[in-house]
Amino acid sequence: MSRSIRDHEILSAVFAKMDVVAMSVAVGSLCSLLFFLATAVLLMQTAPENYPVGEHLSDLSDYLPGYSVSWAGTLIGACYGFLFGALAGFSAALYWNLTHYFALGVMLISSAQLAD
Amino acid sequence: MKAMNHDVDRVNLKLLKTAIRFNARILGLTAGTLAAVGIYIATQASIVKWGGDSGGYLGLLAIFFPGYSVSSIGAWVGAFWAFIYFGTCSWLSYRVYGKVLGTRISALLLSPVPAANPVLKPSTLRLHGVSLGVAIGSIAALCLFASTVWLVVRGTAGESVHAALFSNYIPGYSVSIMGGLWGAIELFGLVFLACLLLAAVYNKVVKIRHKTS
Repeated sequence: MSRSIRDHEILSAVFAKMDVVAMSVAVGSLCSLLFFLATAVLLMQTAPENYPVGEHLSDLSDYLPGYSVSWAGTLIGACYGFLFGALAGFSAALYWNLTHYFALGVMLISSAQLAD
Repeated sequence: MKAMNHDVDRVNLKLLKTAIRFNARILGLTAGTLAAVGIYIATQASIVKWGGDSGGYLGLLAIFFPGYSVSSIGAWVGAFWAFIYFGTCSWLSYRVYGKVLGTRISALLLSPVPAANPVLKPSTLRLHGVSLGVAIGSIAALCLFASTVWLVVRGTAGESVHAALFSNYIPGYSVSIMGGLWGAIELFGLVFLACLLLAAVYNKVVKIRHKTS
C-alpha cells in the first residue's frame, strides 16, 4: 500500500506541468532585477571624470533602443529585462510541458504496440 | 540521499531515479533547443543589422564554439554548439537538482494529494529553491571556472579583456586559475540567491493563481 502511494507521488511529480504564467513572471522579475543591478553597479563605481562608464554594456542599445548606462537606463533596462525574461520563461515552461506531452504520447504508442 | 530522507526505504528508488533521468533529458532538450534558437536568431539579427561589419561581440563565441562565425553557416554551427553546451549543462543541473531533492520530490506538487491520473491530468509543479540554487549554482560555477581555465590554457588570458569585465560584478575575479576559482565560488553564491528568489516568486504566483481559480 505504502509503495503504491509513493510510486503514484513520484509519477505525479514527474509529469507535473509547469505553470506558464508563474514561470514567465518569475523569470521576468529576476531578469529585470539583474538588468537593473548590472547597470546600477557600474554607475555606483568610482571612475575618473569623463571616463566612459559601462562602455561595453551600453553597446546593448544596438539591440535595445533607449537603453544606456545611466540611472534612467536602469529603469529602461529593467523593463527590457522583464520583457525578455518573461519571454524566455514562457518559452521554457511551454516547451517543457509540450515535451512532456510528446514524450508521453510516444510512451503510450510504444506500450500499445507492445500490448499488441 | 539516505541521510536526507528518513523514509527512503519505503520509496521505490528505481522509479525515482528513472523519473529524475527522464526529466533531466527533457530539461536538456528544452534548454538546448531554446539556446540553439537564441544563438541562431542573434547571429542572423547581427548579419541583418550590420552586414559585413557584424561579429564584434558575437564573434568571440568562436573561442568556445569551434567553427563558429557571424555568418549564415556560422549560425547553424553556433546553434549546434549552444544545443550541446546548454543541453548538457541543463541535463546535469537537473541530475544535481534531483539528487539534492531526493525523495522530497513529491512534496513539490501544488496539491498534497497526488493527481488521480498523474499522467493525463497532471498536477502543477512547484520549485524547491535550495535544491535549484545548489544545482544551477554549481553548474554555473563550474562553467565559469572551466571557461576561465580554457582561456588560460590557450594562452589568451592577457587579451581576454571582455572576460575580465566580470570583475565589475564578481569582485576578485580575473582571467587566471585562482581568479577563476574565486569567481566560481562567488558566482555560486550569487546564482544560489537568484534561484531562491526565482523559486519564491514562482511558487507565490502558482499559489495565488490556483487559489483564485
